[in-house]
Amino acid sequence: MKRPVSSVLSIGKAKTLSDRFESEMLALLPRLRRFAAGLARDPARADDLCQMTVERALRSRDQWQAGTRMDSWMYRIMRNLWIDETRAANRRGQTFVDEEAGAAVGADGGQEARAMLTDVDRAMARLPDDQREAVLLVMVEGWSYKEAADIVGCPVGTLNSRLVRGRDALLALLGEAA
Amino acid sequence: MTITPEMIAAYADGELEGAERDRVEQALAQDPALARQVDAHRALKARLSAHFAPILDAPLPEALTRAVRAQPEAEVLSLDAARRARAASARGGTRSRWAWGAGAALAASLALAVVLNRPAANGVPGYADGQLAAALDTQLSGGQTAGAPVRVMLSFADARGDLCRGYSGQAGSGIACRDARGWRLEKAFGGAAGEEGVYRQAGSADPRLMAAMQDMASGPALDADAEKAAIARHWKR
Repeated sequence: MKRPVSSVLSIGKAKTLSDRFESEMLALLPRLRRFAAGLARDPARADDLCQMTVERALRSRDQWQAGTRMDSWMYRIMRNLWIDETRAANRRGQTFVDEEAGAAVGADGGQEARAMLTDVDRAMARLPDDQREAVLLVMVEGWSYKEAADIVGCPVGTLNSRLVRGRDALLALLGEAA
Repeated sequence: MTITPEMIAAYADGELEGAERDRVEQALAQDPALARQVDAHRALKARLSAHFAPILDAPLPEALTRAVRAQPEAEVLSLDAARRARAASARGGTRSRWAWGAGAALAASLALAVVLNRPAANGVPGYADGQLAAALDTQLSGGQTAGAPVRVMLSFADARGDLCRGYSGQAGSGIACRDARGWRLEKAFGGAAGEEGVYRQAGSADPRLMAAMQDMASGPALDADAEKAAIARHWKR
């Protein structure tokens, strides 16, 4: 039986789509690295996570529809990869980052700034994973509650309460003056 | 109506609207402690943002950008580049990574869905006749649907200046060049007519056909206007 091809792509069209896909993904990389840094709390692991995310996204690119948001799609991929990684690590009885290690992922600058920033790292490290990802998505990555809930795959109310617990913990750890 | 911690946080994040938002604002006006909570939430957000902000400006690891750019479909090469790339890569049965994007005008006219060919006897001598000849005479490249008996894929001039066309169909794919007698069959790749009948999608066109066209072409492929002109003069030089 012949199976007709549903879409006959011209090279021109394929090229245009590829270019857009590629350039959109390239433009997303800085944000993805930031999210990865927050999740993984270790620069090397964060870049590994980024790499895995890009590779997974490229392999699954037919799941992404042109015209829809690539950013939330890739955030979701990264988040799910990270969950898989942490679960696997937990099974192996490992923890990636000592919470006192103070990886200082975003630190750049003088000693004073560095000391202050590592406080943030330590505080973030002490959050449970679900609260940390909620805090990162909304307070660092700037997603709305609904978008963040979509990325995590939970109801908005759940996201909201994780977020409140996470930020209360951070405020307590970092001091009300933040 | 109590103002919950969730509402305070949501207000600080700009997530509240309408009546809920009004209610929180009223409460804030009356209760300085609540107002301080909102300030604390916003200060925390600013601090977290500032903490992670340097990553946005940091140079990207090369491995990462390379991974994005390495996607095969993204490659559009000039004929020369395609030729060089093919020469450089080992011959093998891997997916063809070439693309014939010598020009945007060409690109718009080149359909890639072709019949999957089985290795078979090739080098059939002679000239095209019947359906194939008619298609080569009259069809613009890429204008046919996937089920068409013959799909003309691309036109180009060979080293002698003859106009040649790559085609693909249920009876096989190949390249024919126009001379005084008609469409001389230069290359033929066995088609295994109807066998499996599997059509390949863009990017996986028969690499042998693509390679052969690259070898034969002496310049960029004809765009749609050039093809129309060629049709009008019956593909004579």
